[in-house]
Amino acid sequence: MNSIAESFRFLFSDLTGEDNGPLPAVPDGVPEALRPAVAGAIAELNAYQGPSYAQLYAHRLNRFARRRDVDAELLGLIARQMARRMCYDDPIGIAQRHLAAVRCGAASEARHRFRLEELVGALPGKLGRPLLLGCAQVGWLHLPISLRFNGCGLWGRQRLRLQAGLRRWRRFSERYASERAWVERWLHMIDRSLTKAPAAAMAITETATMVDGSGETYWRGLADWHLLIDGVVKPVLDGAMPLADLAGAVAEITALSREGSSERVAETVGRLRKEAGHGT
Amino acid sequence: MDVSHLAQTFGSLFVSIFVVATYTMKTMIPLRVFGILTNVLLIAIAIPTHHYPTLVLHGILLPLNVYRLHEMLQLVRDVKKSVNSDLSMDWLKPFMTRRSCRAGDVLFYKDEPAEEMFYIVSGRYRLVESGIELPVGALVGELGMLSPTHERTQTLECIEPGDVLSVTYTQVEELFVQNPEFGFYFLKLASARLFENIGKLEDKLAEQVYGGVGARPATA
Repeated sequence: MNSIAESFRFLFSDLTGEDNGPLPAVPDGVPEALRPAVAGAIAELNAYQGPSYAQLYAHRLNRFARRRDVDAELLGLIARQMARRMCYDDPIGIAQRHLAAVRCGAASEARHRFRLEELVGALPGKLGRPLLLGCAQVGWLHLPISLRFNGCGLWGRQRLRLQAGLRRWRRFSERYASERAWVERWLHMIDRSLTKAPAAAMAITETATMVDGSGETYWRGLADWHLLIDGVVKPVLDGAMPLADLAGAVAEITALSREGSSERVAETVGRLRKEAGHGT
Repeated sequence: MDVSHLAQTFGSLFVSIFVVATYTMKTMIPLRVFGILTNVLLIAIAIPTHHYPTLVLHGILLPLNVYRLHEMLQLVRDVKKSVNSDLSMDWLKPFMTRRSCRAGDVLFYKDEPAEEMFYIVSGRYRLVESGIELPVGALVGELGMLSPTHERTQTLECIEPGDVLSVTYTQVEELFVQNPEFGFYFLKLASARLFENIGKLEDKLAEQVYGGVGARPATA
């Protein structure tokens, strides 16, 4: 009887979003000093999404852990930033965080601002994609929406549970796909810098700090990051743009973006491209 | 009991055997064949007994079953033909989804877990790490499905806008499970393409070491 129930659970696993895979071990190549932090990140990702997501983190980290040109400092930074970026702040993730605080006896109430596209993007793709197209056509994608996350009252906690329960379907969402592509692109840039410009690898890894939070903060940081990568890092790594100090330029732009100065980010990228004779 | 009533009872009993047989089939082709036979018998019984709802239902199901059976048989035939001729993967096209790419779009990154294969329809695409440009008609990622690590070995970037067709490994696995004959020929085809790649690499190596394919010494 149990095996029949198991078969039916497997049949509907795509609909129910069930994830019963094994939890991954810390990759072998991770130095002893980093292992507790990586184990913590695996546990955090398991709580955020499930064992398969934690597996993906371990798999991604293992690509760098097995390399000889990646030292403990760089690996630690990749591990920390990747865990942070993989636990991105969508409405489901924020509800999970508030619910975890309730469980620890530190219930809180907060308002978070999102763009409408973040809310729609968190829905399963089959539902979210047509809605996103519809919103784009009427120009509502950037509409600011404020949501209250309340862990103090009974009704608020029930709402948090309901919202956090949506995590089962998160991996079918548009936002999940775009975040996955973002992390892969970031890792790809680190990988290429290790081969072409090793001195800039640390600074390129640090660029992950540009993308954080939700709402306008998130979208601004994301736009800055793409501008930096497409305008400076990629052309330099492709050998199409000469730049003596890539690490310095990337660190400068990262700092400007973290200060919230998108205009100065665009100016600096433009200046660097002009100096390198690569247009604006 | 009149003769027509008796014929109807025996007819229903006979059809029930076919219905049960249909449900016992483990794979798609025999299931469709028995489905078609059941449809034909039920139509044959529904006409003299004037059972029109049954007639309409099986009148719809019969062409559907025939079409799906034809689709499956054609797939097996095409894969089989491909194994014996040019090792092309064109037979996969009807199961693929078209996707447009802009210059700068990355289809996949090196070391990323592989989940789908691509067929290049138009535009220009480059493998970033090796700098190799892939021609229109190339299939990318078909061997990743069978590799134990499921990892991409290079990054594929679009350098001139165009279209690609994609199919997920899950979809190919579904075809594989539904139809063991397809699975068998797919394995043969994938192995043949792998051996072809090994042959090309051996020739390239020989060219580098001995200065030409013809110069390669005979091996034992």
